[in-house]
Amino acid sequence: MSAIAKPVERLIEAFSRLPGVGPKTASRFTFFLLRGSDNLSVELAEALQQLHTDVVTCQQCYNIADESPCAICGDSLRDATTICVVEEPLDVVALERTHAYHGLYHVLHGAISPADNIFPDDLRIRELVRRLEAAPVEELILATNPNLEGEATAAYIQRQLAGKKVRVTRLARGLPVGGDLEYADALTLSRALAERQTA
Amino acid sequence: MQLVHLTLYNFRNYARLDVDLPAGAILLQGANGQGKSNLLEAVYYLATTRSPYTSVDQQLLSWMVVDEEMPFVRLEGRMRREDGRHKLEITLIQKPANNGGTARLRKELRVDGLKRRAIDYLGSLNVVLFRPEDIDLIGQGPSLRRRYLDITLSQIDPRYRSDLSRYNQTITQRNALLRQLQETGGDPDQLAFWDETLVTVGSYLILRRLQTITRLDELVATLHPSLTGGIERLRLVFVPRVDLDHLGEGQNVAQLPLRFDPQFAQTFALPSLGLEEIAERFQRQLYERRSLDLIRGVTSVGPHRDDLRFLVDGVDMTAFGSRGQQRTAALSLKLAEVAFMREETGESPLLLLDDVMSELDERRRACVTGIIGEQEQVIVTTTDLADFPAGFPAGGALWQVEEGRISEVSRLE
Ligand SMILES: [Zn+2]
Repeated sequence: MSAIAKPVERLIEAFSRLPGVGPKTASRFTFFLLRGSDNLSVELAEALQQLHTDVVTCQQCYNIADESPCAICGDSLRDATTICVVEEPLDVVALERTHAYHGLYHVLHGAISPADNIFPDDLRIRELVRRLEAAPVEELILATNPNLEGEATAAYIQRQLAGKKVRVTRLARGLPVGGDLEYADALTLSRALAERQTA
Repeated sequence: MQLVHLTLYNFRNYARLDVDLPAGAILLQGANGQGKSNLLEAVYYLATTRSPYTSVDQQLLSWMVVDEEMPFVRLEGRMRREDGRHKLEITLIQKPANNGGTARLRKELRVDGLKRRAIDYLGSLNVVLFRPEDIDLIGQGPSLRRRYLDITLSQIDPRYRSDLSRYNQTITQRNALLRQLQETGGDPDQLAFWDETLVTVGSYLILRRLQTITRLDELVATLHPSLTGGIERLRLVFVPRVDLDHLGEGQNVAQLPLRFDPQFAQTFALPSLGLEEIAERFQRQLYERRSLDLIRGVTSVGPHRDDLRFLVDGVDMTAFGSRGQQRTAALSLKLAEVAFMREETGESPLLLLDDVMSELDERRRACVTGIIGEQEQVIVTTTDLADFPAGFPAGGALWQVEEGRISEVSRLE
């Protein structure tokens, strides 16, 4: 017989599978929920349930969203002649925070890294090329992270677009090399955006 | 440069050490296992952020604290350079194991109180370490010699540090891609970016190794005869995996003849090439080897396959040197490195000599004693004071180490 009730044990085990959460923290979370009022537990349970049922991938930019097309793709006031390519949904959040960009996005969901078994076909690169063929834009901003994998991804996309009539640019240097876009502060990011260079 | 003060917490058998270091020679005497080498290791770690003895930082934790909740190791050094005084700090904190994984040490580096990445921290304090195990540098495989070149150049050249780390990442990525292409096919054009990066950063590594070995070769030309009483001539030979003599894959110089032939001198008198010429050769040969690389799933050409060889009177010491010859060659190399670093940085590195005298004859001891006397700062360990002449170190300090405690003693003549 276990010394601890099954549901408690189950939740501890589930929490400790999250990145950066050890068994100690998992136990703390669990007992916090157990001792607290029902409200937080119910709220969490609902949010978790909706996480997969009520979230969709936008079929145009592949960002995660409430609906497809997403609020950004569906916004007719945004500049549809520019697409900014980013690695992760959180990068969209970071760029939106700058209020310096008014075009559309394309989310790749990762960067090329053969050592981690991530190849071009695992990313939304083919979808990007098709999107550009269906609706050409004037400028494509490659805003992948300023590290080796981000550069490899940008270089690969650029080769896929060789011969196409689109201006391809890269975020300006000044972003901390080796850093992630989502951690860059809004000022640095808007400056990098303003000073972007032809790739 | 000079290390003025050293503080250690929980480092090996030093629970706590707080010590002022004078300029000149410090002779550290003690029986085996008392902490002589540990002190040199600590200074080396403070300079290079790695141990010469282990790649597992956990081993640096004093056994007295390993069972504590969050055990830590801390090294602090105050130093003096041409540009003023600086404070270096390294803290290793053991985080509790996560998800049943092994406990990991978090390493934090600070210069003058500010957090630094390893790549920006290195080069603050420069050291040259000689230890008895350095005989392996001559006698063992090429990876030790590449590591030696990398650590030496990383201390003095920031671009070398960043290009080396980029190069190593790129090799890992390219090899993974080669294996993927070999197993499941795919567009070999994906190699383009990695090849380009490899050539850009790899050529700089080759260039710096070429320049460094050329200069070290000149320096040992005078050092080695004085260590051996003029009997032996030592030459350092760079054996780059990229054939620098030929644009494309010409004859492969990776195989050195074992006995020196004066005509052969031409072959390893490498042309003094610039970065662009090296890149041109590397790029061409990488491309020529691509189909072979695709079959094997590894990158076959590049500085990750370089070697450095030591010839005494034309004989390759790696294959044919006696232990005595290998040891002396390693010592010559380290002493040349001191002069090389001084030329490159304008600062004398701190010299660390671990048990250097024990296997040397009278002549070599006298020569080493002379060289010690010329250093701005040097720490020498010994089990036996009789290995040093009476009155040594003149004007320096004599320390005794016992069970992780250091006491200054005056020498009885
Ligand atoms: Zn969208």
